Amino acid sequence: MSDDGSTSPSGDDFEALLEPLLSPAYGYACHLAGDRGEAEDLLQEAALAAFRGFRSFRPGSNFKAWFYRILTNCFYARHRRRQRRPVTVELEDAPDLFLFQRTAELGLHGSDDDPARRLLRKLSQWQILAAFAALPADFRVVASLYFVDDLKYDEIADVLHLPLGTVRSRLHRGRKMLQKTLWNVAVEAGVASAPGAAGGVAP
Amino acid sequence: MTTPDLLTCEQTFARLDDYLDRELSAEEQEAVQRHLETCDVCTAEYRFEGSLLDELERKVRSLRPPSGLKARIAARLAAARDGNGSDEGP
Repeated sequence: MSDDGSTSPSGDDFEALLEPLLSPAYGYACHLAGDRGEAEDLLQEAALAAFRGFRSFRPGSNFKAWFYRILTNCFYARHRRRQRRPVTVELEDAPDLFLFQRTAELGLHGSDDDPARRLLRKLSQWQILAAFAALPADFRVVASLYFVDDLKYDEIADVLHLPLGTVRSRLHRGRKMLQKTLWNVAVEAGVASAPGAAGGVAP
Repeated sequence: MTTPDLLTCEQTFARLDDYLDRELSAEEQEAVQRHLETCDVCTAEYRFEGSLLDELERKVRSLRPPSGLKARIAARLAAARDGNGSDEGP
């Protein structure tokens, strides 16, 4: 409580609010950065920026959305500076049911085992991160919030200050693109065969 | 959006992501469910997409922070609080 009687957040308040978020925020940062070391740097940068700007946080409002927004802004700032991975146009036309079709072509749909699980279980966490990292930034952000933290569409819209329809559209398109990047990663890793090649999902 | 009594495959597919995410209205959720009960092709696609989402979520959420991360962040915050000039960040 400040001298004028209003409630003013303190550093202790900040750390108490931040601590339970660190684990999911780290997962979110990993999928944005595509790399564990860079994710830790990103999370530390966001924690420091949030700490310095904590006076602008309204007590009682959604701290998680506020902090994730800062983390997302830090990611965009880094991404703009680096632009290491240019957006690949081929992802924009990822067809519907891309992995469903690819796994069907490999004859995986007749077996008892679930073809989607069978493919994904062959991929390491690093390879999954690589598939996320191959998404254009706007789609990576929305897909990461959705998958890492189970946020609903309206919660993602709150974090990103975007209209609900934009979140819905980016998530739907991002998921389609992700199917293609997952497949590309699987083929590159030799976990699945490219179309026309012999074999299927590696045992 | 009005929902016809029985959706076509195309109408069902257009709603599949929202259905999986439980983001449809109760009326639309039920309409998709009714279509799936009568269409093996859409049901196979729905099951594939559903298990893909489940498995991806499971893998994505199994990432754990490295030991010491919380301590390192706490140290940076303490340095910032003390006005340590070396902690201006990138």
